[in-house]
Amino acid sequence: MARVSRRQFLRVTAGGAAGALALGRAPAVAQTRELTFLSIASFVPETDKELKRQFEEWGAKNKVKVRLDIIAHLQLQTKKAAEVQARSGHDLTALGPGLGDADLYFDYLADLNDVATDVAPKNGGWLSQSDYLIRGKWKLLPWWQPPFPMAVRTDLLEKLGEKSPDTWEDWLRVGKKGKAMGHPFGTAMGHSGDANVTLLSILWSYGGSYVGKDGKTITINSKETRQAMDFVKRLYTEAMDPEVLAWDDASNNRCLNAGKCIAIHNPISAYESAKKDKVVVPGTQKEIAEVIDHIHTPRGPADRKATTGFWCVGIWNFSKNVDLAKDFLRYHFQPENLNKWVEAGHGFNMPFLTNLTRHPVYKSDKQYRFIPEVAKVTVPPSWPGPNTAASQQVWDLYIIPDMFAQHATGKMTADQAIAWAEKEMQEIYAGRKRKP
Amino acid sequence: MTSPGRRIRPLFTLYLPVMPFVLFALFPLYFMLITSLKKNSELYDVTTVPFLIKRGVTLGHYQLLSQDTLFWSWFVNSLIVSVAATVVSVVIGILAAYPLARLRFPGGDSFGVAIFVTYLVPPSLLFLPLSTVVNRLGLSDSLWALVVTYPTFLVPFCTWLLLGYFRTVPKEIEECAMLDGCNRLQTLVRILLPVAVPGVICAALFAFTLSWNEFLYALVFVSPAELKTMTVGVISELIRGDIYYWGGLMAGACVGSLPIVIAYVFFLDYYVSGLTAGAVK
Repeated sequence: MARVSRRQFLRVTAGGAAGALALGRAPAVAQTRELTFLSIASFVPETDKELKRQFEEWGAKNKVKVRLDIIAHLQLQTKKAAEVQARSGHDLTALGPGLGDADLYFDYLADLNDVATDVAPKNGGWLSQSDYLIRGKWKLLPWWQPPFPMAVRTDLLEKLGEKSPDTWEDWLRVGKKGKAMGHPFGTAMGHSGDANVTLLSILWSYGGSYVGKDGKTITINSKETRQAMDFVKRLYTEAMDPEVLAWDDASNNRCLNAGKCIAIHNPISAYESAKKDKVVVPGTQKEIAEVIDHIHTPRGPADRKATTGFWCVGIWNFSKNVDLAKDFLRYHFQPENLNKWVEAGHGFNMPFLTNLTRHPVYKSDKQYRFIPEVAKVTVPPSWPGPNTAASQQVWDLYIIPDMFAQHATGKMTADQAIAWAEKEMQEIYAGRKRKP
Repeated sequence: MTSPGRRIRPLFTLYLPVMPFVLFALFPLYFMLITSLKKNSELYDVTTVPFLIKRGVTLGHYQLLSQDTLFWSWFVNSLIVSVAATVVSVVIGILAAYPLARLRFPGGDSFGVAIFVTYLVPPSLLFLPLSTVVNRLGLSDSLWALVVTYPTFLVPFCTWLLLGYFRTVPKEIEECAMLDGCNRLQTLVRILLPVAVPGVICAALFAFTLSWNEFLYALVFVSPAELKTMTVGVISELIRGDIYYWGGLMAGACVGSLPIVIAYVFFLDYYVSGLTAGAVK
């Protein structure tokens, strides 16, 4: 047997590795068309099953091998960053939980003008088209949102003699009474998506905002913000437990389903899981899902506004299957497919298309009756400014929850907390902290 | 015959003083286990004592893992990747540590320090450039991506640990072997390694544990559901937005702990002596 010298071995292995690196891919044994889709684990598992079914159905019709990969939503940012760095990965990708993602990855996303134009008329048009354009272009398709109503315990409200609380001040009053009997109000005030959503909703409802329409002027320093902050301080000290500072997205669901919280500002996921797990009211045999109701997101002195996770879908422009990916999006966004998909998700996944907000599922259970109403007052997290990489960063860095929490806990005065947030936002919008 | 006083003494000098540490160390495992056996209704009930099971045991969470997820595929994937990465890293670590411990060459000491410093570079900094390398090698979405990338953090530690251990072995026995006609490689394989078994086992155990627990690279480099490792698979399937399947997550964590527990039970003595011998040098 011929001996291989150390030098020969090194030469061959180094050459092979260099060849593979230069080629940029492993040698192809057989070329088959494959379309891949990275999505997040849906809050209602049946949604993923229906999406997979549609993806496979489309693949079978078009003789394309398909692969749907699901990851937890908190891991999506990491995965996207790696795919963009490597200029390789999935063809289709979920984007979010904000529209600013598309500005962040603007140079790596394929234009979807044609798809957006095709699918809208069939579904009654986009809810608010101008909100979804990034630098004037369709770089994503807004996919679904979980509107944020108020999830409430009807039995406790009855016990307190409260009927249909509708404003944030009403909820402060209810929360105070509830806390006195061991059932506080619950909204996250730490680093979580729910904290961003609820505290932005309160800020807007009191007439405040953090950025102007021009997407440049920081508007957080206002008397309306001060009013909102004073309200949140009272809500925190009088109606909630300090644990809300450490809450993640799951904590408020747990608080409601454990029978502790009198109300939480949250989509219908808590109710859905209580129903599935047959959780009972502590000390009774009654299912807690039977005493949960969902009502309108609260109104403030200035407005009734809310936001939510704006989950979107995009196509990487380094994908070799851009046309195939567009074709699948057209297929998935066909009214009958979207209808089935919304039904599978029990309406949790409301598309940003007018006809779908009138889906029969929202009449199938009285719990869902306010969801379309909440969707009408739901705006993107950057409102009234445009969705940009900077607005996404304000969301991702939890500037709004931190500002409110610093004041509510007494660590800072309202002026100090606002000045801190203003400085952070000015730096972010000036681009000094912008992600690459 | 031993006196009763002598028999009782260890209770006060050994077992009781150690007890708080044992309880502290075992508490997470205990809590994982009872959470995995509780019914969801009890998990949600804030009025119950969280450290006990009051409303009966359920195996439903284990059933959920086995029937509704690809848990056992993920388990096998974790095992394959961890064993392969451990073998590769320990072999490379031995080959790197030996010359650093035994041969005198310019920059040898600095090289040893540099290897250790490499170990300190966090994977959260490395995953972005590594994703380009993995892609260029055509290894994305395969277990090979992990077998290739895990040694980036395993080899430095194995080398550093074995370097310390090899230095505790007297040079003279190797010199005797060389006088009897062994070359360097033979000396390493026939003389040094048999003496250094505790160090090698210690390095292997540590490498296996790190690979078994690794999350970030497994998340970034492998996407298909059937190829995920256990750490990523369990999180992907059982954390659904704001719904955490606590029972299932804890069941996954319990089953996931078993290989590590078994490995340490068998090799604990080697592990301790390997780690301390290297440390005191």
